[in-house]
Amino acid sequence: MSRRRIRGLAAAGAFALAVVTSGCGLGEGESSQGAATLTITRDYGAQRLAEATEAEPTDSDTVIRMLDREVEIETRYSGGFVQSIDGIEGEIDAGRSFDWFFFFNGIESSTGAAEVEVRGGDRVWWDYRDWTDALRTPAVVGSWPEPFLQASTESDPIEVRVECFGRRDPCERVRDRLADEAVKASVETPHDAGGRSLRLLVGPWAQLRSDPLAGSLDQGPEVSGVFARFAQRQGGGWSLELLDEHASVARQHLGGAGLVAAMRDGEQPPTWLVTGVDAAGVDEAVAMLDADYLSDRYAVAAHAGGETAVPVGALR
Amino acid sequence: MRSAIAYSPKPGAFGRVGALAASVYLGSLAVAAFVYSNPLVLAALAAATVVAGLLCGAGRALKTSARWAAILGVFIVAVNAIASQRGDTVLVRGWELPVLGQLDVSGEALIEGGLLALRIGVVLGIFAIHSACVDPDRIMRLLRPLARHSAMTASLVTRLVPLAAADHARLREAAALRGPGAAAVGRAAIVRRLVAGSLDRAVDVAAALELRGYAHGAPRRSGSQRRSRHDWRFAAAGIAIVVVAASARIAGVGDFNAYPTTELDARMPTLALALALPVLAALPFAGLERAKSSSRASRERRG
Repeated sequence: MSRRRIRGLAAAGAFALAVVTSGCGLGEGESSQGAATLTITRDYGAQRLAEATEAEPTDSDTVIRMLDREVEIETRYSGGFVQSIDGIEGEIDAGRSFDWFFFFNGIESSTGAAEVEVRGGDRVWWDYRDWTDALRTPAVVGSWPEPFLQASTESDPIEVRVECFGRRDPCERVRDRLADEAVKASVETPHDAGGRSLRLLVGPWAQLRSDPLAGSLDQGPEVSGVFARFAQRQGGGWSLELLDEHASVARQHLGGAGLVAAMRDGEQPPTWLVTGVDAAGVDEAVAMLDADYLSDRYAVAAHAGGETAVPVGALR
Repeated sequence: MRSAIAYSPKPGAFGRVGALAASVYLGSLAVAAFVYSNPLVLAALAAATVVAGLLCGAGRALKTSARWAAILGVFIVAVNAIASQRGDTVLVRGWELPVLGQLDVSGEALIEGGLLALRIGVVLGIFAIHSACVDPDRIMRLLRPLARHSAMTASLVTRLVPLAAADHARLREAAALRGPGAAAVGRAAIVRRLVAGSLDRAVDVAAALELRGYAHGAPRRSGSQRRSRHDWRFAAAGIAIVVVAASARIAGVGDFNAYPTTELDARMPTLALALALPVLAALPFAGLERAKSSSRASRERRG
């Protein structure tokens, strides 16, 4: 046998060994149970463009593969960054930046779509939006009951905690709403429990703002990722200010206004705010915990006139 | 030994074709290769390139470029397989690589890589033919009205670099001939002598250019160059290739999607296009061959 041939065989053997020892497999792999859903919207969920379901995704299914099957895409950086979906392309228009972002179970992904594996039950939401005033919106409410459902059904489940700022009654209703979606949660008084847990902070804004993460809502969407904030009124009390995608105040609601929003501290699990300007506002917010109100929305405000998706009037 | 892709005057009809016509003809094939990803069309363009190369008398250049393309192609396929994480037909799953993380290798990524390699191979082949068959001085003369200084610089480089290479070979040979008792001459010493020699030569060249009046602007044209009677043929073939390729593309012929699963347009219009491209590439030679053989036949009859 020639030396070249021996070298070739040795290289092939080394490659095969590397493949085996690196723990990779051949083929698409095993299927997971349940269906994964894909939603494609634009302008902060204001317009739904497409929806699809993937039954029993396999081990090799990723967000990019799932998207690729349903729509025409153009990618950059080896498929890690989606530049265009069905011809809607990331661009800078009149000084404002537009791009595609995706949320995986209600959490904005910090890794490329090619690296996120999809399993049964996962919810993938792509949204094309103006990100000039808020580059990051780390968590959203539009994939309800995610992130709670997937987190509580994992092999290493994450604790779901309803933290009660004020009356206990709305907190118990929040827990019941979660139970309706097969999510087990505990109602507790606010405390630093340490470790990883998904929190729902429930109570009037006057009390809830003492939480450090919730308090960052005052700093605007650039920091909090939420296009809403509470403002103290002269003579006492609070008003709920809803912002448009330019982070300007578009509406102001007084008594009875509530807000359901999601925030995230670094790489910690998301924290949801179920709050209001007063007790009635908190009740309104609790009533919003339903897919009918939350689907495809970054945050939702509840008030006497109904509910409003936040940011306000984002349709381009 | 002279490089296979270095220019040498070719005896056939293509050797008498002007630089512009030759560039239009060969460039049209490269343009078509960039316009299409369909493997049938790319394979047809590869065939057209081989046909053109052989008829131009650039068989050696083609062979050399094919060798480079094969080596480059292996890298392109391997890199694309690793870099592209799209494609439904997953062959290897969860391959953990340092720095790059976890990767999948899909059949579609391999196919896309293969097509990229084929396209690069076609373009390399075209440039090899161009390099071997088209006089670089004529190209520089074409560029002179557009960028006088750049054309002058490029002309000098095309002469001085081979001279420097020859100097290097001579110096190395001289060093080797000093005998086994002499101290070895290091690479740095040879490079030092080479640079010194090159600077001397550069000064001489600058003085010669100065004396010939190059500092006073572009020399006036000595008269319009006559175009070869073959120029129009090759230019027309090049334009025809671009027009056919572009209009077919606009009409949606030769579609190809690598992802999520490979979709290939193999309908009649695509097959017709794949057939037309090599024919168009060979067409300008066809009449010339006949003319050549008929003139030879008449000479033989006369003889």
